[in-house]
Amino acid sequence: MLDQFTKMALVLMVVITAIFLIGAYLGYIGGHGMEGTDAMVEEHAASTAANVEATSLVPAITDLVGEPLGFTIAGIVAGFIVGYLWTGLFRRREDA
Amino acid sequence: MHISDGILAPEWCLVWFAIAIPFIAVGVWQIKRGTKENASYLPLLAMMGAAVFVIAVWHIPVPVTGSCSHPIGTPMSAIIVGPFPTVVLGTIALFFHAFFGHGGLTTLGANTVSMGIVGTFSGYLIYVPLRKVNSPLWLAAGMAGFAGDILCYLAAALELALSLNPGSVLSHWAIYSVGYMPTQLPLAVAEFVFTAGVVQYIADRRPDILAKKLWGGVPSA
Repeated sequence: MLDQFTKMALVLMVVITAIFLIGAYLGYIGGHGMEGTDAMVEEHAASTAANVEATSLVPAITDLVGEPLGFTIAGIVAGFIVGYLWTGLFRRREDA
Repeated sequence: MHISDGILAPEWCLVWFAIAIPFIAVGVWQIKRGTKENASYLPLLAMMGAAVFVIAVWHIPVPVTGSCSHPIGTPMSAIIVGPFPTVVLGTIALFFHAFFGHGGLTTLGANTVSMGIVGTFSGYLIYVPLRKVNSPLWLAAGMAGFAGDILCYLAAALELALSLNPGSVLSHWAIYSVGYMPTQLPLAVAEFVFTAGVVQYIADRRPDILAKKLWGGVPSA
């Protein structure tokens, strides 16, 4: 049987993933590119000045493995850290 | 709000670093003091650091606007671990974001100012007075999340305008802000919800954490 924390974590994971997928799907069927606003505004801002272009001084992991896999790995690693520490700090003790 | 390398003028990169460094120094000092006095502070910081990292890099699709953006997570962290330590966490998170194609190294100071300082302190400075007038905890925390998110993006828009359009800062600040807002407003509402939920949950389980004056918190009860 799953404990209360695991159940809650799984429900949250499903809800968050569903929000992402539904949002992306609605954007897709609406014919939108779903580009990030950071990049859109930055590109517009750069176009207003001469010789300004976004570059990168460090290699991006997402360029090597792709954005879906790169962000999935980052999410899994960060999720394990948060989940592990969260249970240690906030789990209700049996003797409490 | 992640500004890439090559966008800001070098002198503005230095200005934003100069503004960020004192906040980071105070944050490091508070972290050192906090970990000496309470062993549970370090895992709490690590957890908040990982949370801020992932919250501020995941682009959430907003179908109404046909684009995507991300919340920031620093107002929530400020309430839980304190505003100055959150600046340090935000800087570390932004450093690693550069390796995911978000932000940059030369713009780390500018991004720290918008997400780590403006996002953190604006949210926190709304949370504290609301708690002082006995606002419900979830409402004060949620408002901190909402305001911190919006003001972070207004700060990023100002950074772009100051560097790229020195002759027409105000008008371009407005243009860039309008560019961010349609996507950011729904995400600020999401930031309201999860900040309120997480802070209320922690207050129910471990009210002592939010009550630590040392970390810049105010009592939850």
